[in-house]
Formats: sequence, C-alpha cells, structure tokens
Amino acid sequence: MFHRILVEDWQRALTILSFGIFAAVFLLTLARALRLGRDRVRHLEALPLEKDSHE
Amino acid sequence: MTNNPTKTVIEFDDRTVRHFMVASIFWAIVAMLVGVVIATQLAFWQVNLNSPYLTFGRLRPLHTNAAIFAFVGNMMFAGIYYSLQRLVKARLASDFLSKLHFWGWQAIIVAAAITLPLGLTRGKEYAELIWPINIAVALIWVVFAINFFWTIARRNEPSLYVAIWFYIATIITVAMLYIVNHLSLPTSFTHSYPVFGGVQDALVEWWYGHNAVAFFLTTPILGIMYYYLPKAAGRPVYSYRLSIVHFWSLVFVYIWAGPHHLLNTALPSWLQSLGMIFSLMLWAPSWGGMLNGLLTLRGAWHQLRTDPVLKFFAAGVTFYGMATFEGPLLAIKSVNALSHYSDWTIGHVHSGTLGWNGFMAAGMFYWLAPRLWNRKLYSPSLANMHFWLGLVGILLYVAAMWVSGITQGLMLSATRESGTVLAYPNFLDAVTSTKSLMHIRALGGAMYLSGFIMLAWNIFKTAHGAEPVNGTIEVFVEPAHPARPMGLKRGFINAPVVYSMLYVLFAVGWAATSGIYSAFSFVGIFSISLALLIHKDVSKATWNQWYEQLLENSLPFTALTTLAVVIGGIVQIVPTIIVNKAECIEGVRQIPYTPLELAGRDIYVREGCYNCHSQMIRTLVGDVLRYGAYSKLGESIYDYPFQWGSKRTGPDLAREGGKYPSIWHFHHMRDPRQISPGSIMPNYPWLYTQKTEVDLLPHKIEVQRRLGVPFAEQTPEELTQCVTIQEQTIAADLKAAGAEIPPDREIVALISYLQKLGKSEKVNSTSAQAPTASK
Repeated sequence: MFHRILVEDWQRALTILSFGIFAAVFLLTLARALRLGRDRVRHLEALPLEKDSHE
Repeated sequence: MTNNPTKTVIEFDDRTVRHFMVASIFWAIVAMLVGVVIATQLAFWQVNLNSPYLTFGRLRPLHTNAAIFAFVGNMMFAGIYYSLQRLVKARLASDFLSKLHFWGWQAIIVAAAITLPLGLTRGKEYAELIWPINIAVALIWVVFAINFFWTIARRNEPSLYVAIWFYIATIITVAMLYIVNHLSLPTSFTHSYPVFGGVQDALVEWWYGHNAVAFFLTTPILGIMYYYLPKAAGRPVYSYRLSIVHFWSLVFVYIWAGPHHLLNTALPSWLQSLGMIFSLMLWAPSWGGMLNGLLTLRGAWHQLRTDPVLKFFAAGVTFYGMATFEGPLLAIKSVNALSHYSDWTIGHVHSGTLGWNGFMAAGMFYWLAPRLWNRKLYSPSLANMHFWLGLVGILLYVAAMWVSGITQGLMLSATRESGTVLAYPNFLDAVTSTKSLMHIRALGGAMYLSGFIMLAWNIFKTAHGAEPVNGTIEVFVEPAHPARPMGLKRGFINAPVVYSMLYVLFAVGWAATSGIYSAFSFVGIFSISLALLIHKDVSKATWNQWYEQLLENSLPFTALTTLAVVIGGIVQIVPTIIVNKAECIEGVRQIPYTPLELAGRDIYVREGCYNCHSQMIRTLVGDVLRYGAYSKLGESIYDYPFQWGSKRTGPDLAREGGKYPSIWHFHHMRDPRQISPGSIMPNYPWLYTQKTEVDLLPHKIEVQRRLGVPFAEQTPEELTQCVTIQEQTIAADLKAAGAEIPPDREIVALISYLQKLGKSEKVNSTSAQAPTASK
C-alpha cells in the first residue's frame, strides 16, 4: 500500500506492547490509589456531600 | 497582621447554571424533534418534502450537532458550573466570562441551526460546522477554560475532587481534538477545505469523532456522576480509590481507540489492530466506573421506587455499562465486518446518548430544579412517567436498530455458490426488509421526545412563580493558600516522572525495534530499574509526597492529563501524516478531479450524501462482490475532505464512475424510485434549476493546489473554458439519451463527479511523480 516506510508486521508485537502499556498505566494508578491515606480518602469522598443554603 | 482564618459567606453564581439548564432542555427538544423527523424520513421518504433545506442529508448533521453540542453541551456546562463552585467552595471567577460563555455558546448553536440546513458544511461527521463557527467554538471554549481554571485558582478547598479531574480532562482534550480536526484552508467566508485529505483525514476525523464521544459525551458526564450520584443517594462514592484508577485508565486508553471506526478499510492494518486492542481494553476502566456508580447506591436501592432522580441515575449508569460493553464488542474486527455501515452502530450510539447522556441529564435536572428555584419538584409522578416512557422509547429504538442492523449486515454480505455470488445482489432488498423497523425506530424516538417534553413542563411548573435562588456557603478563608504550590517545573522535573518516561521510552524501543536497538533498549530497562533502586536507597526519597501534592495543584495535574491523552494521538497520527504523500503511494493512485468534477464534489458534500453513502469498499467478500475490488489508500489521496462515510443507507459509491450511463443518474436524482423501486432516497429537483457555482472555482483550485492536489496551472479563462467543454459534453450525452438540460445546471456537475468516482491509475515506480489533473 504505502512504500515500506511503514513496518507492516507490527502485529507480532502490537498486542503485547498495547497490553504492556495499558497494564503499566493501570498498575501505576492502582498503586497510587491504594497508597492514598485513609483520612485523605474520607476527606475527598465527603466533598460532594457538604450542603449549601438550599439543600 | 493575623494569620487566623476569617469566616466569610460565599454566594454561588447559580444564575448561569439556570441559564445553561434551560438552554439544554430547549435544545434537547429541538435535537430530538429533528431526530424524529429524520427517522420518519427513513420510513416515509415523502417527509423530505422535496425541499433542499429538509432532506435527510442536511438535517442529520443538524440532529447530531444539536444533540451533542447544544443538548449535552449546555447540560455539561450547567452540571460543571454547579458542582465546581461547591467542590472548590468558590463562586465562579467572572460573571462577565460566565455570561460570555453562555450567550456565545447559544449564538454558535443558532448559527449552526441556520447554516446546516442551508447546506453550508465541511462534510465531516460531527465536524460539519463552517470555519467561522469553528473559530467561535474554539474562542468560547477558551472562555470556559479560563473561567473554570480561574475559579479553581480562587478555591477555598485545597483538594481537587475526582469530578474536577474529569472536567479538566474534558476541557483539555476537547480543545486539542477540535482544533486539530477543524484545521482548514478557507476558500470563502462559508467554505473551506480541511488540511488533511484521504486516509489522513479519515484517521484524524475518527480520532476526533470517537473521542468526541469519549471526552464530550462521557468524561464530563462521569464527573457529573461522581458529584450528583452521591448527592442524590446521600452517601459517598462507593470507592474513591477505584475512581482514581477509573480516571487515569480511561483518559489514557480512550484516545487510542479511534481507528476502530475504520476496520477492514484501506487504513494501514497496524492502526486497525491498535484501535481494536485498545477498544477491548476500554472494557476495564469503563466497567470499573460503571460499577463504582451503581455500588454508590448501596443501601439506597429502596429509594429508587419513589425517587425519580435516582431512577434516572441508576438507569443512566446501567446504559453506560451497556454501551461500553457493546462498543468494544463492535470494535472486534470480525464483529465489525457485520455491524459496520449498518443500523447496529446507530442503535449503539443511541443507547449511549439517550440512555447515558439523556437519563443522566434528566436525573440532574430533576435534582437541580428544586434547589435552583427553592421549591419542591412540581410533579414527581410526572417525572416517573417520563422515566418509563423514555425507557420504553429507548428499548424500542435500540432493539429495532439491532434487528435492522444485523439484518442489513447479514443480507449485504450473504453469498451463494461457495461464496462466488451475492445472495441479495439488489441493495434495496436490505432496505425494504428493514422498513418496518424504521417505523418502530421513529415511534421509540417520539416516545423519548414526549418524555423530555414532560420534563420541560415539569421544570417550567416548578420554576413558574418561584424565586430563583443562589446557594450560599460559609467558609473559613485562610490568609495563605492552603494548597502546597508545586509549579509546572517541579511537577515534571522530578524523579518519578523522569524514571517513568525513561521506562516508557526503553519499553517502546525494546518492543518496536530489532537487533542492536532492541538489545540496547532491554539493557536500558534493566539499567533504569537498577538506578531507581539505588536512587531510592541513597536518597531515602518518598515519592508519595509528589503525588499527594499533585492532587492539590491543578496546573501540573492538567499538564499530566494532557500528556496522557496526547501520546495516543501522536503515535497514531504522525506516521500517517508523514507518509501520506502522493510520491509514497504504491499500486494505484487517484486521478485528480477536473474543475467541473470538483464543483460536483462540492455539491455532493453540500447535500450530505456521505450520511447515507460510503466511498470505501472493505476487504470483505460481500463488499468486493457487490462493488468491485477493495479500495486502496491511493484512491482517495486527493479527497479533501475524505468521504469514506460511516453508514450505508444506500450503496457504496467508491466505484460508481462508469457503472451507469449519465442518463441513469439524471433520472435517478430527480426521482430515485423511477429507477430503483423501493428506494427511500429524497428527490433533488433543485439540482435541475440551480446553476453550478463556477466563480469561486479558481480560488478553490488554488487552495487545493496548496494542499498538494496536482491541479494544472490555468488562467481563470482557461478554467472556465475547461468547465464549459465538460458541461457541454455531458449535456450532449444526456440529450442523445433523451433528456434536455442547460449545461450549466448543478445536476451536470454532480454527474461529472459521480462518473469520476473510482478512476485511478497504476503506479509502477516506487517514487513516481504525482500526476497533473486533466483539464
């Protein structure tokens, strides 16, 4: 299709590479989320529940 | 001077929230009404009314733009402004900017509602608005962003709740997507050509189109879910930690999935695979968020029996789960072979917009109205009735589209005699077989619309005679900002970010290269791991602090979010932009249009033909048997904009040129049923009376030349002569076949374009020069 500027046998590594990228992002954010302090979580999750004058 | 905090009362700007909410309800009804009209046109073609302003091709963009930008846009702004002020304990930063945002956005919508039926379009789905409106959208979006970030900067609550993260991702990503996909070169005040063409344009368009769904219809509504659902249920979100994982996984993965709209097409296969894989991985964050929303209702399920707000939210989140299950399913290449170009996709989109966006909007409006007007909801019973009417409407609509889509997919790909002959060679067989389902679709849509009219009435009665109120809150304002300022530099030039970036670089190097480079990258990964361990041991660094500070600093947080969404776009789009040049094409290459054919193409785009006809023969047996050899990349390289389409209500036109004589098109465009009994295509009588616009052609061709289309150098006189000769040739051909028409009419130009479709030339040399357009 195009000249061979594009490597067209990426499929061999593509799935593993994609999963690796996703897993890295997922695990990093999971680690951060799990290490968030309990008090901080309580504070954050309570933010929407504060009421104003008409609630 | 004392450092003690001072107590103060903040009055929120809820007037802006009310404005956006009322606008959203109004535009929702307009968008849905137009939707019902165009659904009816598919059942009864007569509803096109032989009017150029009311055809399916012109009204469908009005429907989609109104639903996305007018209905959901206004709803999003209402929801964001209300929740933002309360989450950061600060009034909106600027009353002037709030007003400018509101009225500017409404002016944009009115401009769109006028220009789209007039046929003023860019010819790209969900990106049809003409360039002056595009600029206005970008400017008003900047106004929104300034107002938003300025409010955050003035906040009295140091922490940024997860809903605000989703809002930040929305603001940044929509700006990026919108600007890139709307880059154009104007030819007049109302017309332009996109700077991308062919496969580039296809890729950029669906990078934008898919992520418009992601970052305009999903992320802001998820933010709204994380604020309003706990409020309505009276309990905190099920898992705040899960919401963090949900956010980062979603914004990172979503941006990669766009190419799943182009499966089995001429798009390079590595991009198709990437789109499919990341779409499948979207299941995880989407369902994580959906479960987090539903489980927030733990212990509050009994309230669903009586509380319409929770009912709408629970159903809305459920539809989010359904739509995000179906989306990845449809992104699997083999499933997509059946579903693509069919009504199945339409059903999928509507389960998202009607079920997720519509129901979340309704739940939020019913929750907000009593608080914005300080009066109980006029009728909870009416709201409950709205819920059931809307729900049945969605189910009728979506079920009809599932059945219709699968029928179309099966019939149009069915073969006999060992796959050598089409089982249903006449495309209209699929159209007539699904016609009854179009009636059910229109009925379902009408029911949903009726529900929203009930909502409008209910909220009008709630507000009528009541006094609009602004919420107030007492806060302790600290003399020094409680947040620990981090700054952009400190946010990024630090150990965790640098190590992570190096890891990604070496990992990509290891996977994407071979030989010495791959080995070097592998050593790099090992070295970085070792360096990281030593660094931690020597410095005794605790990196938690960096992350914790990030949660309180919007600027580096925004920059990190931008980085997360930019990566996917760069990896997919940049290689295609670099190589999509005429000299790089192998196999076949499109023959450039003549000036008259270009004029005919502009008419094709104006009439929105791409809404029903594709120009892309997929690499599938059914497509090839029906339409000819599959489309190659080079065959649309000079198409600005690309017209591959996304739905086949009518047949593919990629190789239409020469398939029928000109007289066939002449009669077909005037009355399609005369040629194709059972067709639901509108009549186009105005093409036989309106003259072809040739005055602007020299400038249009000049712009196309600047974009890289090899049009021959011509003086305006030569160009006019070239147009006249081709017009007269086609008119003479029509006359010989028994039809008289003045050569300067639009139908002649359109026929010239249709007869050119699929014309290409072989390219033998690996570095062949681009051809010059025939005169």
